[in-house]
Amino acid sequence: MLWVDKYRPKTLDHVMVHTDIGHNLKKLVTEQDCPHLLFYGPSGSGKKTLIMAVLRQMFGTGAEKVKVENRTWKVNAGSRSIDMELTTLSSANHIEITPSDAGFQDRYVVQEVIKEMAKNRPIDTKGKKGFKVLVLNDVDKLSREAQHSLRRTMEKYSAYCRLILCCNSSSRVTEAIRSRCLNVRINAPSEEQILEVLELIGKKEELQLPPGFGARIAEKSNRNLRRAILAFESCRVQQYPFTNKQTIPPMDWEDHISEIASDIMKEQSPKRLFQVRGKLYDLLINCIPPEIILKRLLYELLRKLDAELKHEVCHWAAYYEHRMRLGQKAIFHIEAFVAKFMSIYKSFLIATFG
Amino acid sequence: MSDIRKWFMKSHDKGNNAAPSKPSNQPKPSSDKPQPEKNVAGGQESSGRRVTSKYFNTNKQKVKEEKETQELPAKRKNVKDSEDTPEPKRVHEDVGDDSVLPTNKKKLAEATPTKKLKSGSGRGIPKKSVVLEESDEDDDKGAVSAVKSAGRGGGGRGAPGRGRGGGRGGFMNFGERKDPPHKGEKEVPEGAPNCLAGLTFVISGTLDSLEREEAEDLIKRHGGRVTGSVSKKTNYLLCDEDIGGRKSEKAKELGTSFLTEDGLFDMIRASKPAKSPSQAEKKPVNKAVAVAPKVSPKPLVKVPLSSRSPSKQAKPVAATTIESSVMWTEKYRPKDPKDIIGNQSLIVQLRNWLKAWNEQFSDTGNKKKGKKQNDSVLKKAVLLSGTPGIGKTTSAKLVCEQLGFQAIEVNASDSRGKADSKIEKGISGSKTNSVKELVTNESIGANMERSKISKSVLIMDEVDGMSAGDRGGVADLIASIKISKIPIICICNDRYSQKLKSLVNYCLLLSFRKPTKQQMAKRLMDVAKAEGLQVNEIALEELAERVNGDVRMAVNQLQYMSLSMSVINYDDIRQRFLTNAKDEDISPFTAVDKLFGFNAGKLRMDERINLSMSDPDLVPLLIQENYINYKPSLAGKDDNGIKRMNLIARAAESIADGDIVNVQIRRYRQWQLSQASCTATCIIPASLLHGQREILEQGERNFNRFGGWLGKNSTMGKNFRLLDDLHVHILASRESSSGRDTIRMEYLTLILKRLTEPLRTLPKAEAVQQVVEFMNTYSISQEDFDTIVELSKFKGHPNPLDGIQPAIKSALTKAYKEQSKSRVVRVADQITLPGVKKAPKKRIAAILEPAEEGGEKGEGDTSDQSEEENTSDTEELEGIAKGEKLQSDLQSWNSKATEVQLELKGTGNSSAKKASGGRGKAASTSGKKAAQAPKRKR
Repeated sequence: MLWVDKYRPKTLDHVMVHTDIGHNLKKLVTEQDCPHLLFYGPSGSGKKTLIMAVLRQMFGTGAEKVKVENRTWKVNAGSRSIDMELTTLSSANHIEITPSDAGFQDRYVVQEVIKEMAKNRPIDTKGKKGFKVLVLNDVDKLSREAQHSLRRTMEKYSAYCRLILCCNSSSRVTEAIRSRCLNVRINAPSEEQILEVLELIGKKEELQLPPGFGARIAEKSNRNLRRAILAFESCRVQQYPFTNKQTIPPMDWEDHISEIASDIMKEQSPKRLFQVRGKLYDLLINCIPPEIILKRLLYELLRKLDAELKHEVCHWAAYYEHRMRLGQKAIFHIEAFVAKFMSIYKSFLIATFG
Repeated sequence: MSDIRKWFMKSHDKGNNAAPSKPSNQPKPSSDKPQPEKNVAGGQESSGRRVTSKYFNTNKQKVKEEKETQELPAKRKNVKDSEDTPEPKRVHEDVGDDSVLPTNKKKLAEATPTKKLKSGSGRGIPKKSVVLEESDEDDDKGAVSAVKSAGRGGGGRGAPGRGRGGGRGGFMNFGERKDPPHKGEKEVPEGAPNCLAGLTFVISGTLDSLEREEAEDLIKRHGGRVTGSVSKKTNYLLCDEDIGGRKSEKAKELGTSFLTEDGLFDMIRASKPAKSPSQAEKKPVNKAVAVAPKVSPKPLVKVPLSSRSPSKQAKPVAATTIESSVMWTEKYRPKDPKDIIGNQSLIVQLRNWLKAWNEQFSDTGNKKKGKKQNDSVLKKAVLLSGTPGIGKTTSAKLVCEQLGFQAIEVNASDSRGKADSKIEKGISGSKTNSVKELVTNESIGANMERSKISKSVLIMDEVDGMSAGDRGGVADLIASIKISKIPIICICNDRYSQKLKSLVNYCLLLSFRKPTKQQMAKRLMDVAKAEGLQVNEIALEELAERVNGDVRMAVNQLQYMSLSMSVINYDDIRQRFLTNAKDEDISPFTAVDKLFGFNAGKLRMDERINLSMSDPDLVPLLIQENYINYKPSLAGKDDNGIKRMNLIARAAESIADGDIVNVQIRRYRQWQLSQASCTATCIIPASLLHGQREILEQGERNFNRFGGWLGKNSTMGKNFRLLDDLHVHILASRESSSGRDTIRMEYLTLILKRLTEPLRTLPKAEAVQQVVEFMNTYSISQEDFDTIVELSKFKGHPNPLDGIQPAIKSALTKAYKEQSKSRVVRVADQITLPGVKKAPKKRIAAILEPAEEGGEKGEGDTSDQSEEENTSDTEELEGIAKGEKLQSDLQSWNSKATEVQLELKGTGNSSAKKASGGRGKAASTSGKKAAQAPKRKR
């Protein structure tokens, strides 16, 4: 088993990083009726772990008896009926789905699931009517329509089900939804905290950590705990007695993107653009989300860029990212960004160096 | 035709007989040079173009050509006897052009050059530059044609854009022909309207300045005929370069003379009465008598011509219109089967069939055996098929008439649904009932006629038009055919229509073909003569070609044109069909070629929209794929490529715009935006970047690539599906609950390492064991293994599987398969990929076995409880004491998806596990091994 999963805290008592939040959540769940929750924060900060721990706190160990289903829904949308398939992860008391996987028909999924849950309310042993919990991942990727429809259903069925929403950025969740939830911001753990976790794992795995090695991983992880642990294990797989100079293997796709970035910086020509397109296609084919590609690409470019241009380039990246969300064929937008960048950078180079 | 040329023409027209303003912007002094060059050209090695073929443009050839021009009038003399007046003049001029020029040249400085001279010198210059430019290329070409097998290396070519060689062979029809090297630079001459009459031309290769269509146009306008391939009748092969193709070979074989574009121009120009006396003499000669002897037809300005003619010819036109209130199509409908254009053999066949019908079938009531025999030989009905307007109905009717049958026609205007069951309603019922009645009842027909035999024929017209209103029409028709006592003729346009599939089996099939344009032109000529129209044959052939074989349409067009003019010439017809000609199918590639082509800037907006709308899905993708490849002519002089980069950025943004618009169209069904989308995706990028195409990759062909997006997108979709599988499997293992993207972006690198690294470093047995164990933990199947490897491949990076011995790979497969028998079912393999039907794997099958089909969620029936004892790991003992309980619950609420509900692992062990700390690899391995042999209890 991977260390990330192996050392994942299972209860709110055991959380290592966000102990205060864990504490509060525990109080919230045990003492009173739980409101809708919205967890947001950067990836690798422990949202999912906290959610699972909350569920466990609510329903006991039953929450961990999960089954995976590939459910199909038949939805009547106006004149036609749509068949939708979605993977759900559910226990007796909760259902977890990622509605954004359903593409732009996500709102039907959300509505259907909630209605269905309302239909068969669980009755606990004391005869008290309980509620189910619906965990929605990637709420920020929900389409606007879905978010609007969610808003109404949240209120209407609040007696039967609680929503736990999880997303990276709360800015893409409509205000209406945010105001109906208890917002829980999960910060990225600090490097010290990461280091602490790494050292703990090292101790449990009985590894010899050279001094500074853990700190390097923590630093490289960009305050992403999951990545830090994964990188830690990668190092372990690669070479065991750790040396201090051991390279921390980068993610394959990040490697590829930085290659693209240096390609772009080296030459700005149609030919290069064409090659870059091929590489971008490679990334997309390998299932890297286009937003991530664009973001990472910008990051890599900014590192090498003259300070003068940074502002403008950032502006264009944001511009094309926005348009990418409006559009459908991501490659067009990324390519447009690259072309724009090349054009800007080239004229800059010529203006400065002649 | 290009604007430049129009401009030239105008200027030329203005100064018609006087010295024209410089036709090709050549500086005057330079006009001296080309002349000697031209004369010496034959002998010189340097002017490769001329030397490549000995048939071609050498001195000898020049003489020959000259002779021919002398011959030509002679020939024409046979045709028209009064033509001889211009002849000597022409000869004289020709001589002047070729040999007198040197003397003229001396005078050139002081004397105002005559028009002829001027144009000649103007022509010389571009010619020369061609020679210089192409000499190496032509050498190359010559070499290739000599050694056929030698592949044409792409490297040797200087300018890729001019790579005509690439266009040869299979791709010739596919792309556009290359632009003529001096497109629009030469002045197109005008001559007497019929100066080329009776001559047949074949055009081959790329001409010097004219597009092929333009050349064709020019010849036709002057009464010449253009055919596709060389035959004995061909007088000239028009070509400016010897490309050694089939045409030129054939021409050499037949001794057809070669003609350059300039030669053609000379011929035409020569016919043009330059001086007034000859013009006056020529006047009566012209065939198009009534109009325009004064001005030879201006190629583009036709309005005055056509508008003038009715005023002159008002009387006859009025006369004809009064007398012919009937449509010509009716008036000139063939009265006899022999009059029908083309398809005579089919008509004969039809007549024979009809003649024989009665002998074949009318007696069948008496002799059953006879019927059976004949049935195989002869069908009871006949199906005529062919495009509209080629005379199917007419021939059917005429044949019936000729044989004395009475034709009863049922067409789309009648309801032809299934006959009512109440047949007794009879004729008073719907039309079909009467058809039924007609078909079954001999006596109706028989009584009407005096003769014994029934003499009716049922013509079912437009059977493929039987639509929703005619429910069961075809089936009923077939039934009618089976019982029919009269012959039935069915007529349709599309024989391969889906509707007619069943009908075809019962019918004798006769497919009418389109008549050739010559046949049609003949017939149309008859019509025109009868109506007092003056049309020449070339014009009618053009008409026949434009209507695409539809005689009815041709006659209708002719009638329409007769209303406004009594003399119709080639240009009128061309103009009339200018819009119709666009209806042809354009392939997306052609459309993109045109949009990005050199002349794309001159296209009108509606033309551009038409092009990009020819396939609104594919054209944008092609544009997107290829726009980087074009060197925009907008950029002009662009030293460092910065303008081009700017344009590309703008185009890319516009394409991205188009994507956004497209989302609106597709997702929210805003189809009114489709024009905006086509503008954004096609027109703007194309207008920014149109120019010459260049290749970006070594070894690429200089043709537009097919849009890569489609393929990449489908690969991406596939990979996402595979990733989904992996994700579900990992979720099902209950070790992780991360999202799909997280798995891809963060887990995958490590998982891949865990899967491949041991295979590379550790000894075989241990490595295999470790990997299989890891796969089991996360319930990663072998397909998932492949998925992981596949998703980690990047071009230019080593394959993640490199360096792993095949032996180890196979050992891994074996080990994995071996354990699959005892593997705890964890994976709900319910994902059924559409189209992929895998045989259910054993481990699934094992679970499926006890399943009850009833759909009841009987836990008791299917719960397989397997307890596994985990003895090795002492620290975990407590947690796992409960054992792993496996409950699989099969539900069949969705018939196609099997669903496996799992309950694994008591949860108590989690904390214990966490506390357990360092668990030795070896220990856990053995523990796992034990776990993988679950006992089954019922």
